[in-house]
Amino acid sequence: MPLLSVRSLCVQYQGAGGTVRAVDDVSFDLEAGETVGLVGESGCGKSTLGKAVMRLVPSSDGLVILDGQNLTSMQPGVLKAARKNIQMIFQDPYSSLNPRHDIGTIVGQPLSVAGWSRRDIRGRVAELMGQVGLPAEAVRRYPHEFSGGQRQRIGIARALALSPKVIICDEPVSALDVSVRAQVINLLKDLQQATGVAYLFISHDLSVVEHISDRLIVMYLGRIVESGRGEDIWRRPAHPYTHALLAAAPVADPRLARSRNKSVLQGELPSPLNPPPGCSFNTRCPMARERCRVDQPVLRTLADGRMVACHYDLHQQPEALPAVSVAR
Amino acid sequence: MLALAADFIRRFARNRAALVGFVLVIVVIGIALSAPWLFPRNPLRIVGRPEIWPFTTSRFPLGTDSLGRDIAAMIAYGARTTLLIGLCASLTATIIGISVGATAAFFGGWVDELLMRLTELFQTIPNLIFVLTIVSILGQKIEYVTIAVGIVTWTPIARLTRAEFMSLRDREFVQACRSMGMGNLRIMFGEILPNALPPVIVLSSLVIAGAVLFESAVSFLGLGDPNISSWGRLIGDGRTLIRSSWYICAVPGVAIMLTVLALNLVGDGLNDALNPKLRDR
Amino acid sequence: MATDRVSEPTPVLAIDKLEVSLFTRRGVLPAVDGLSLTVAAGETVAIVGESGCGKSLAALAVMRLLPEPPARIVGGAVRFLGRDLAALSDREMQRVRGKDISMIFQDPMTSLNPVVTVGDQLIEAIRRHTAVSRREAGDRAVELLRQVRIPDAERRLDDYPHQMSGGMSQRVMIAMAIACGPQLLIADEPTTALDVTVQAQILGLLKELQTESGMGLIIITHDLGVVAETADRVVVMYAGRKVEEARVGALFERPLHPYTRGLLGATPSAVRRRGGRLVEIAGSVPALSDLPVGCAFQNRCPDVFDRCRAARPALASLLPQQSVACFAVEEEVSRHAAAVGT
Repeated sequence: MPLLSVRSLCVQYQGAGGTVRAVDDVSFDLEAGETVGLVGESGCGKSTLGKAVMRLVPSSDGLVILDGQNLTSMQPGVLKAARKNIQMIFQDPYSSLNPRHDIGTIVGQPLSVAGWSRRDIRGRVAELMGQVGLPAEAVRRYPHEFSGGQRQRIGIARALALSPKVIICDEPVSALDVSVRAQVINLLKDLQQATGVAYLFISHDLSVVEHISDRLIVMYLGRIVESGRGEDIWRRPAHPYTHALLAAAPVADPRLARSRNKSVLQGELPSPLNPPPGCSFNTRCPMARERCRVDQPVLRTLADGRMVACHYDLHQQPEALPAVSVAR
Repeated sequence: MLALAADFIRRFARNRAALVGFVLVIVVIGIALSAPWLFPRNPLRIVGRPEIWPFTTSRFPLGTDSLGRDIAAMIAYGARTTLLIGLCASLTATIIGISVGATAAFFGGWVDELLMRLTELFQTIPNLIFVLTIVSILGQKIEYVTIAVGIVTWTPIARLTRAEFMSLRDREFVQACRSMGMGNLRIMFGEILPNALPPVIVLSSLVIAGAVLFESAVSFLGLGDPNISSWGRLIGDGRTLIRSSWYICAVPGVAIMLTVLALNLVGDGLNDALNPKLRDR
Repeated sequence: MATDRVSEPTPVLAIDKLEVSLFTRRGVLPAVDGLSLTVAAGETVAIVGESGCGKSLAALAVMRLLPEPPARIVGGAVRFLGRDLAALSDREMQRVRGKDISMIFQDPMTSLNPVVTVGDQLIEAIRRHTAVSRREAGDRAVELLRQVRIPDAERRLDDYPHQMSGGMSQRVMIAMAIACGPQLLIADEPTTALDVTVQAQILGLLKELQTESGMGLIIITHDLGVVAETADRVVVMYAGRKVEEARVGALFERPLHPYTRGLLGATPSAVRRRGGRLVEIAGSVPALSDLPVGCAFQNRCPDVFDRCRAARPALASLLPQQSVACFAVEEEVSRHAAAVGT
């Protein structure tokens, strides 16, 4: 049984102009110790999905099952205990730590809320600081004395405090400098090796997600359009949107960048208040046909285990779109 | 914590005007505290000829009023009244304001609606009339004046607290606390409030100034506590003699003006010192 | 500057040992320390570096848009087609800005005036430098919007910035920037705030506009992918100093400076083996007030030795069209040359 199971999760909220379906019928599994990457552009719902799994925002439909327990239907008192198994790392290192508390207090908060004794908390905090590579005496200092990368480490230490089984990483390196990103990404991988924690890694940066994920989920306007093993998807995307993302993502290799065919995706993201009828991607899809404007595609399984939400098969009509560079 | 305090003092001291204001406030406090020693007898007693001008005799350095009471003594004791009312009214207003604003922002929904309509209600009632009404209903004692002023000045604090809470409520560190199962009360008081306080403190210091003016207005109109010496009352009593012995109005008037100015300067200094965005400029 | 002396007329922009200092309570900080670079007509130069390296300040210095306290140009020259911009008066500079040199910024939502329609902002930009009537400016504005691929251009003139998406607002910014046919366009992190598919559109648009008009383009970014996609030449900055400059192919193929190598190694890329460890650069960028004596990179450099702590390495053109400021690389190259017997 997978560690985390999300089934038909829906999150909607009332926007200024109507109902917005931020997450629309999303289902996926996360096994123990694996990393599933969640990619998409703004408005695709990936951050909302992460928060909904954490029960930080209410879902309007669907189930979240962690370690056999149904989180969606839990009472607040029981939920508090279940929460120790799933924690979150946030994007902005400058607002994810309370500026008025010292580091020791911040990292020890989950333990304090869970009722640990002060001595035990001190011990565990010292252990965590070592695990994330921060000096022990830093516990008495305040967040503003640390750099962005160091603050992210503090956030990671806080998330690890109760030894959760799942950590949801919401764009953990997007706000960091390139050289610092590598430190944090390597740290996350090391921690996964050491503790066996599973990650749901949310990011808009394809190269980072590609580097760290075993499996991948691609979202567009609240729905999953493709999911499967990372390598399979990068080498041969099965959905036109994934194809477009790969084609658009800048490649840090000048020869490759200029030699490949740049089929730039046209158009703009439709407003989430008014998603297009049928397949939500049909307004920008180079392969769109009549059926796409009417029927919404469901996720179907392909031969290699992947799931795609598209009426047509990109693999069977390779001439429909220029090939993405093979070197991937 | 010590480092934060030292940092704060340094930033406050950078603002020269704020320092001047601070010194003035200390002087006023000093006068208020030392009044019983400087003027051991009841300041409302008649001690000399009426309408002696200030700086003419050494016995009455600030002169006497229309009844022959020592103005210097009344100013000194009036300082006590002023500070007392200013502080107590501000404290009352702050407690009410923070509670209303924090509750409204944190719980949202109908709680927010209800509390905001309540705030608007208090805001639309003309302040001075309200104070006068309360005082005339409850009686002319200093406690009731204080309560009345407190009731009338809490609304801007509530609004500010609510705005600060709302902006902090969705910050990631608050989400982190929610995701570890922290209870609502602990989040409100332990996490959000310490961050929301600085601008509220600044506003509270300005509310003190406002309270001083309110009290002066009430006493000027003769509706204050008749047994207590007050700057506003002095001005009111001197109204009729403003053509000849205008110092009776001027001296307390200057005292009020300097105190209110000092409080405003301190408020500005606090704002600079507590506002992290102005750091290191 | 010696790297680019191909048989060329006066370069569009020639920054010569530019120094910009920040005058703060903590002292005078050298935010840009002796930067020199040139941009030729039709060429794209990328300035790459992380936060605090001075790349944005350098661009603002060229435009004379530095926040006057605390920043100030304290040395060097900025020559635009031979004229020193640093010596111009405010009024003269105003005639240059927006007309001969334009700049676009990172966040289009905050760079456009939220209470003025897009059309009015464009018209204002046009009429500032060209003597045309309002109607003519309006027609030109529609033409410009079409040039930047905004659909339904006529109706868009009446939109307010908040009614447009990030990508569209950025296009409007670009339209305003090219309105008067500048010879140099500076783009400061133009796509950082945008989605990846929109980023590709905007970068493509910038390159197309450059090809059509032959203007010089400076792209400031921290994203090596964007550099690889768009640049002809690359300047790498660290702590206010230029540490390497090369043609883009050479930079990615044989990066010389340890910092450049670290940046490339730290960038996850399909070219490298998936799942391998990323190269870490130990430590973090030093604060400008705490720069060490000698090379600014010494505390993070894997190749550091004594000389690095004693003196600042100067830029040396060790390979044709590639210059680097590093003692370790100098030693390596001279050792290699000695071994080969040159």
